[in-house]
Amino acid sequence: MLSRAASSLFWMARYLERAESQARLINVSLTMALIDVPEDRTEQLSVPLLVSGIHEVFFEYYEDITPQNLIDFLVLDSRHPASIFGIFQAARDNALQVRGNLSSDVWESINQAWFEMKDLQRRGVRESSASSVFDWVRERSHSFRGAAYGTLLRNDAFHFLRLGTFIERADNTARVLDIRHAMATKASEEQTTQAFFEWTAVLHSLAAFEAYQTLYGNNLEPMNVAELLILKPDVPRSLHGCLREIATLLEQVTSGDARRARRLASSLYANIRYGDRDYIAECGLHNYLVDFLERIQDIAGQIQQDYMGWQP
Amino acid sequence: MQIKKPASGIYDELFGEDDRFRPHCRMLEQWLKHSSEELITDKRREADVLFQRLGITFNVYGEEQGADRLIPFDLIPRVISAADWQKLQAGLRQRVQALNRFLYDIYHDYDIVKAGVISAEQVFANPQYQPGMQNLKLPRNLYSHIAGIDLIRHNDGDFYVLEDNLRCPSGVSYMLENRRMMMRLFPELFSQLSVAPVDHYPNLLGETLSAATLKPDPTVVVLTPGRFNSAYFEHAFLARQMGVELVEGADLFVSGNRVFMKTTVGPQQVDVIYRRIDDDFLDPLAGNPDSMLGVPGLYAAYRTGNVVLANAMGTGVADDKSIYPYVPDMIRFYLNEEPILNNVPTWQCRKPEDLAYVLDHLDELVVKEAQGAGGYGMLIGPKASKKELETFRALLRNRPGNYIAQPTLSLSTCPTFVEEGVAPRHLDLRPFVLSGKKIQMVPGGLTRVALREGSLVVNSSQGGGTKDTWVLEGESC
Repeated sequence: MLSRAASSLFWMARYLERAESQARLINVSLTMALIDVPEDRTEQLSVPLLVSGIHEVFFEYYEDITPQNLIDFLVLDSRHPASIFGIFQAARDNALQVRGNLSSDVWESINQAWFEMKDLQRRGVRESSASSVFDWVRERSHSFRGAAYGTLLRNDAFHFLRLGTFIERADNTARVLDIRHAMATKASEEQTTQAFFEWTAVLHSLAAFEAYQTLYGNNLEPMNVAELLILKPDVPRSLHGCLREIATLLEQVTSGDARRARRLASSLYANIRYGDRDYIAECGLHNYLVDFLERIQDIAGQIQQDYMGWQP
Repeated sequence: MQIKKPASGIYDELFGEDDRFRPHCRMLEQWLKHSSEELITDKRREADVLFQRLGITFNVYGEEQGADRLIPFDLIPRVISAADWQKLQAGLRQRVQALNRFLYDIYHDYDIVKAGVISAEQVFANPQYQPGMQNLKLPRNLYSHIAGIDLIRHNDGDFYVLEDNLRCPSGVSYMLENRRMMMRLFPELFSQLSVAPVDHYPNLLGETLSAATLKPDPTVVVLTPGRFNSAYFEHAFLARQMGVELVEGADLFVSGNRVFMKTTVGPQQVDVIYRRIDDDFLDPLAGNPDSMLGVPGLYAAYRTGNVVLANAMGTGVADDKSIYPYVPDMIRFYLNEEPILNNVPTWQCRKPEDLAYVLDHLDELVVKEAQGAGGYGMLIGPKASKKELETFRALLRNRPGNYIAQPTLSLSTCPTFVEEGVAPRHLDLRPFVLSGKKIQMVPGGLTRVALREGSLVVNSSQGGGTKDTWVLEGESC
């Protein structure tokens, strides 16, 4: 397929995944800000800004982090591309580029989301109604995924789209885990009741709370959380689960001489597949995740180079 | 619903002379009379929502990019009887055949010029004439594979060709989507009627494009200027329907006089390009050097015969308004037949005696730029203010060769939903004619309607809308 089309599909899926992650993350942060002691509220609210790396951009526009400021900035603001509005816009722009490769169900799902988003921006979002907006983002994401799974031909277009989803998801899981895990560990060390909520916040941010309970029961153990979100292959947002998909998808993509992205992905996949919690503990979770983030970005860059950005 | 009657002296597509619908449209009359206003309002809203969701929008040049305007769609179809279509089809076939013969001739043997039918200056000094096309052998001698012929119906009930579009005629996606929309909104109408289908247009187009080269199993692509182009939706739509790649200039490159597209598995050779980019922008090395839309080296590859462009380069010379008056003569010259379709009488302002007549009768005539398109830069005499008339008088005196003039034809009307209810509005018709191994077309075409009362300008950029076009297979509906 056309290189530019592959790139647009890849990015379209990345953006849609990002919108969903962002919605979960803000929702959890707003809830945590309500639970937390007043002096720690700012820290809770700044998590989504840190994950997206736009902490500084925020303070160009606002003086302090309040729930309403955060909602305005991260949901509706069209002055920067990292708001859910900006993310949906980028997703639709990419979809528009590859309409010919999308089924009408997928296109209509994205196009519809965009019109509803514009409508939402006109009406504004208050703190009291924010949760329903995050629900809406998640539903939109599910609708896109359902349409993609249910109607797209399993060809390279589909594979590149799925690659975008899992690269973004792996990247997001590693970032959220890194920041939230540190906060929860701190709360645990201070022996506060807050610790319980912090650990559930990690899990809720990555839609893994129910999965944790199924696999480990009610007892929230820091290493169990890390193990679940890194090593368990059957957790949809775990690093292992994402890497398994990425490695498999790269095997399925029709390739000419391109091998590098495959090699990088297989190597990282093997690393996680045969890794264990002792190894993670030995490295230190933070170091482990920083290394992972670098490598997943290398893979993303190599996919672009191998299939999308080549020059004659 | 109340339906406003058409003005007298104007042909109406649905109303006959006794204030009733024409015999072949009686069932439509019943349906319209028995449809409540609420139902129609609901259906109109549903159509808007569906078009918006499908993304069938267009951009207007000069407006904010990505403004995503909907072309107004009218729910009342325009109906063409089987007999009328038979005649139209024969006439279109004949006309397009002659135009392709003309294009071949002016790039090879110049017979029509030698015979004195058209002056050499008219052809060779035309800015659309491409000297580089001379003696280039094209498969099947075809130049305009896809033609859109604009027709109107005059008050004598006859169709007249208003202009030929032989470069990149657009609008066919609206023809297809309008039909889909009508079938979705009013399935009960279609179950009772025999309306000729149009849905197979993309198949015919694919067949035509594959036949544009002699190579077996050719790789065909659609070349678009990109998503900010006003017709991007259509480019994407047709590529998808035909199952071929939609490419932009930057997706293609030329190597060894062959054209390749950049794919995820490396270069893939392209054989036929259905290009929706004007001649001048196709190749920055041959045309406009600032073009970011084109492909460097494409023209050389084309001249070598390694790739086919549909439509060919240099077809613009045949759809120019200064050549238009000669089309009936072309039909006689090349085919030895009498033209089936009428041409509108045309004064060519470059001729002193024609110019004198035009200046004397300016308030009765329509004046158009010989190379204009999109309804810009034209004067409708009877509707113009004194000041506009004076402006055009000066323009005509300064550069008479740029203009042609025609009598103000009374475009036919059709009942249309407007704010005050159902009222007559003027419309035209653009059938699409495909030339490949044979000449093919789907019954009907795109009907454009001027939504402002009394307006004769149907272009979507100027507030025009569209209607579904029904060609009947049987006697009546």
